[in-house]
Amino acid sequence: MKRTILLAAMMATAAPVGAQAQACADADRVPITWSTIAGFYTDAMAKLVAGFEADHCVKVNVVNIDNSQLYNKQVIEMVGETGAYDVVTLETSEKAEFAENGFILPMTEYFADKKAQLDDVAPTLAALTVQYKGDVWGLPYYTYTAGYIYRADLLEDAGEKEAFKAKYGYDLAVPTTWKQHRDIAEFFTRKKGAMLKGAPLEKDFYGVGLMAGPFPEIQDEMSGVIWSQGADWLTDDGVVPVDAVEKAMNDYLALMQFAPPAALTVTYDGVMNQMKDGQIAQTYSFFLDQWPNAAQTETLVPGARMGVAEAPEKKAYIGGFLLAVSASSTHPKEAMDFVAYLGGHDAQMEFAKAGGTSTLMSVLSDPQFADPANRAKTGHFGTLLAIFDSMKGFRSNLFDTPFGAKIYNTMQIPLQSAAAGQITARQAAEQLAAQVEKICGGPCPIGK
Amino acid sequence: MSQSLSVSAARRRPAAAPAMISDRWFSILLIVPAMAVILVFALLPLAYALNVSFRFADLTRGGIGAFVGLDNYRAVLADEMFWASVGVTLKFTVSAVVLEMVLGIAIAFLIHGATVGKGVIRSLMVLPLATSAAVTGLFWRYLYDTQFGLTNYFLGLLHLPQPNWLGDYTIALWSVVLFDVWQWTPFVALIALAGLQALPKEPFEAAELDGASTFRVLRTLTFPMLKPVLFLVLVLRTIDSVRLYDAVAVLTRGGPGTVTESMTFYLYRTGLKLFRMDYASTMAIFFLYAMLVASLFALRPLLKQFSTRASEG
Repeated sequence: MKRTILLAAMMATAAPVGAQAQACADADRVPITWSTIAGFYTDAMAKLVAGFEADHCVKVNVVNIDNSQLYNKQVIEMVGETGAYDVVTLETSEKAEFAENGFILPMTEYFADKKAQLDDVAPTLAALTVQYKGDVWGLPYYTYTAGYIYRADLLEDAGEKEAFKAKYGYDLAVPTTWKQHRDIAEFFTRKKGAMLKGAPLEKDFYGVGLMAGPFPEIQDEMSGVIWSQGADWLTDDGVVPVDAVEKAMNDYLALMQFAPPAALTVTYDGVMNQMKDGQIAQTYSFFLDQWPNAAQTETLVPGARMGVAEAPEKKAYIGGFLLAVSASSTHPKEAMDFVAYLGGHDAQMEFAKAGGTSTLMSVLSDPQFADPANRAKTGHFGTLLAIFDSMKGFRSNLFDTPFGAKIYNTMQIPLQSAAAGQITARQAAEQLAAQVEKICGGPCPIGK
Repeated sequence: MSQSLSVSAARRRPAAAPAMISDRWFSILLIVPAMAVILVFALLPLAYALNVSFRFADLTRGGIGAFVGLDNYRAVLADEMFWASVGVTLKFTVSAVVLEMVLGIAIAFLIHGATVGKGVIRSLMVLPLATSAAVTGLFWRYLYDTQFGLTNYFLGLLHLPQPNWLGDYTIALWSVVLFDVWQWTPFVALIALAGLQALPKEPFEAAELDGASTFRVLRTLTFPMLKPVLFLVLVLRTIDSVRLYDAVAVLTRGGPGTVTESMTFYLYRTGLKLFRMDYASTMAIFFLYAMLVASLFALRPLLKQFSTRASEG
C-alpha cells in the first residue's frame, strides 16, 4: 500500500515536467547562448543547464572560453552587436564597462517583483558585482572572494609555537595583521634538512605561496593590502595613489623571498599545487573558492591539516562572476530567466553540493554545508560569511570606473615587473599611474 | 574510320580554343581566385587598417571615430613600450635566426655525411615542424617549470643550478629563443640538406683530385653553391621570427613584466585587451612598412639571381 501511494506521489510530481517536456518539442525551443569560463565547474553547470531546460522551453548552448580570452571575445561580440551571446560572464572589474557602453541590459525592472531573490545575494558581493549607477545588471553565480588558507597543523604545533614565540615575542596564530603574516612567512621558510614539526625536511619549505606570474591575480592578492591601508587602486579623483601602491608593492616584495621561486610564473592553481606538494605554509590573500582544492592537502601530505580564515586586517579581494544579458540578445526575456535561475536558490544549492562557491546568503548559511562531513567541499562557507560581514558597505573605485576592465588587464605588468626585480616598487607604482592615465585619457571617471 | 574521325576532331579542338579566349585573358582567369583571396583577406583589411590608423578608434568608446590625422603615428612613435617591444623582437630575431642557421647547417652536413639512418633522422626532424607552436609551447612550459619541470629535475640530479627559466627576467627571453631554436633548426637543416644533396658532384671530385683541403672546398665550392638556398632560408626565418607571437603567448604572456613582449604581442594587447584599434592599426602599418623595406633589400639579390637565370634560360 505504502509503495502504491509513493508511486502515485512520484507520478503526480513527475507529471508536470513530463507534460512540459511533451508540450515543448525540440524544434520549438528558444535558443540562447551562454559564454562562460572553461574549466570552472563545467560539469556542474551542464547539470544546472539541463534543469533549466526541463522547466523552460529553451535550449541553452554553453560556450566554454578560456579565462584569458573570455573578456576580449565577449567585448568583440558586444561591439559588433552580433547577438552571438545572450548571456555573458563578467569579472567584477568588467561590469561598469559593459554597463556604461550599453553592452548589457539592466535587470532592475526584471527583479522588481523578485526582491527577495536579489536580497539573498551576499550584500557585499552584490554591491560590487551587481549594482552600478543605481541599476541591477545581473546576478553573480560564483564567488572567488579572497581570504587566507593555511596549514593549521603547523600553526598549532607545540614545538613550532614555542620557537615562534621565542623569536618574535608573541604567539603563533592565524595572523590578524600583515606584519604577523610576514613573520609567519619568514619563520616557516626553511632549507632542506632543517626541522619542521620535529622532522627533517626532504626539500626546501617556504613560508608563503604567491601568485606573481604574468596573470591578473597579482593585483587580486595586493588588493586586500591596499584596501587595508585605507587606500584604493584609484582615488576618488580617478588617479592611482602612487605612495599607497608603492607601499603595498614593497610589502609584496618583502614576501617574495619567502615564496618558492616558481611564484614568478604561477597563478592560483600553481599555489594550490605547491600547497598539495607540501611546499608552503600559507597563502597570501587567496581565493577561497579554491578551498576544496586546498583541502586535498590533508590526504596528500602526511599530518597536514588545513585551515581557512579571513585575510589579515579583514580586507580582501571581493570577486564574483556576474551573469548579465547581452544588449544584442534576440531573446532577452529567456536570457534573464536563465540568469535568475542560475543565480537563484535551487540552482545555487545544487552548485554548492557540487563544490561550487555560492553567492547567496541562504546557501552559504545553510546548516548542511557547515556539517563537518562536508568540510572538504564547503568548509570555507562560514569564513566567506564573515568576510562579507567584515567588508559590508565596501566599494572600490576600480569596479566603478568604466575603464576598470582595461586597467585590470594592464596593472599586472608593472606589478609583475617589480615582483621579478626588474624595476623598483616606486617605478612600478609610477608606471601603473602613467598607464592608467593613458587608458582613461586623464583621470578616470568614477561612476557609483 | 571512326578512329580517324575522332582523331581529326581532337586535332581541331586546340585550333578552336584561341578564338574563344586569348592566352593573356586565360592566364588572368587562372590567377583570379588567388587574387580574390589576397584582395579579401589581405588588401581590404590593409586598407581598412590604414583608414583606422588615421582615426580615433577605441572599440569600447564608440568604435571607429573621428579623423585625427597623424596623431596616432605621433603617439606610437613616442610610446616607450612600443620601442621596448621592437627591441625585444630584434633581440629575439637576431639570436634565434643566427643560432638556427649555424646549428641547422651543421646538422645538415652531419646528416649529409651519415651512411645509415638518414631517412629516420629526416622523419624525426619533421616532428617539431609538424606541430603548432601553441601545442609544443605548452610542452615546453612544463619542461621549464621550476618546481615540477623535467629540465630542472635533471639539472638537480647533476647538482647543477636550476634556473627559473620563465620567471627570471634576465633569462626569460633566452628561454623563448631556445624553444624557437628547437622548433625551427630542423627546418633550416632540412632545406640545407636538400641543397647539399642537389649540388653537382663533378666540381667536388675535381677538387678532391687537386688535393684541396676540406676548408677550401667548403669556402670556394660548397657555400658559394649553397648560397641561394641558405639565403632563402635566412629570409624566411627572419620574416617568421619577426612575427613572433605564439611562443610568447604560450610560454610567458610577455612576462615577467614586458621582458618577452614582442611587437606582435604588444599589438595584440593594445588591440584586443585595451581595444585601442587606432594604436594597434598604426603599429601594424609600421610593422608592415618595416617588413616591406627589409624584404625589398633582402630579396633583391635573390630576385636578381632568379631573373638572371631566367634570361639565361
